[in-house]
Amino acid sequence: MILLISTCKYSLSEEEFVEPIAAIVRETGCKYSIRRYYEKVNFSEFDKIIICGTALKDFNYLKYLSNFKPLLNYSGKVLGICAGYHILAKIHGASLSKVEKIGVYEVKVVKENPLLDKKVVRAYFLHTLALTEANSFLEPIAFQDREICMFRVRGKDFYGTAFYPEVLNKEVIVKFIELK
Amino acid sequence: MKVCVLYSGGKDSNLALLKASRVFDVVCLVTLIPRSEASYLFHYPAVNLVELQAKALELPLVKELTPDEEEGGLIALKNVLMKAKKIYGVEGVVTGAIRSTYQASRFQKTCWDLDLWCFNPLWLKDEVSLLREMLTEGFKVVFTRVAGYPLRKSLVGSLLDENTVRFFEKIRQYVNPSGEGGEYETFVLDMPLFKKRIELLEYEVVGSDYDATLIVKKARLTKK
Repeated sequence: MILLISTCKYSLSEEEFVEPIAAIVRETGCKYSIRRYYEKVNFSEFDKIIICGTALKDFNYLKYLSNFKPLLNYSGKVLGICAGYHILAKIHGASLSKVEKIGVYEVKVVKENPLLDKKVVRAYFLHTLALTEANSFLEPIAFQDREICMFRVRGKDFYGTAFYPEVLNKEVIVKFIELK
Repeated sequence: MKVCVLYSGGKDSNLALLKASRVFDVVCLVTLIPRSEASYLFHYPAVNLVELQAKALELPLVKELTPDEEEGGLIALKNVLMKAKKIYGVEGVVTGAIRSTYQASRFQKTCWDLDLWCFNPLWLKDEVSLLREMLTEGFKVVFTRVAGYPLRKSLVGSLLDENTVRFFEKIRQYVNPSGEGGEYETFVLDMPLFKKRIELLEYEVVGSDYDATLIVKKARLTKK
């Protein structure tokens, strides 16, 4: 069972940021459950977790980081998309910088990983915060300019993407779902 | 939240409006009127007809003329949203964008610059499913333009129905079923939020076999 976490303050945003991910999960034939960022969830009930993105003006989820701290002891696999990337970075002690990026940009993959097997891809970005420096917990996987647009938490199957893979890089989500 | 809907009068902006109205207070419609059909960002609505739709919806319409080129279009979008914000206290914008990153990123950026929320409730949805959803919701949608093979002139002036949906499903490899790339255009005559429906009284279809347009000469609001 896959857990999809909505980071959206407004339900209309879920149509845009959660439902497209749910549609991809449905295509793979996997079962899923959707919960909201303000709920306390027992993560251990799920094999995999996808923390979805939200609207550009929405930062409410950052007030609920404590709900995500139990992920530090979670042994499953996590994919954080945009807001989810912010959450994974923050609970691992990293700082986010103001980086406004809206639209399609070229991404350079610098580290072999199970989700993106090309060296260069085009990806859709919609954020105003991003990582520009990694700490010892986070391993950069891909860059857009000087922004670390994809990382892995060292020693774990936790991945963060600053871009929205469901738009132009659906294979990232499918490969995550298929990770053994 | 008070929102406006970026409204072309076509099926997608109407479905976005319907979804938004279920959770937000839609206070006005916003329409950009391109000077010609060549606009990159906006559909080419017949302004008089959009005004009729606004009346049917009993919503104010904020409009602005926009040049065809991108920069002018973005300035016009900014101006019209600023107007909506000032007059109606709009806090968010709803669009019918489905898959175009070109359109979506420009709407998102403009909203961000104006400190407005941006909502795209149709984003990445399956286009054929959206057509079916419109039928289920009771939309009456007329095709107003086709712009290339294999969409024929005979489609123009006809209503969206299950047969048309099946046709788009069949040709989806060649034509985007939503028409988001300008393959075809539509106009909504009726949907659940309309207090009255629109009746086309006089019209003609002009153009060639695979490039044709519906010219509406007379239309009116009728009791539902």
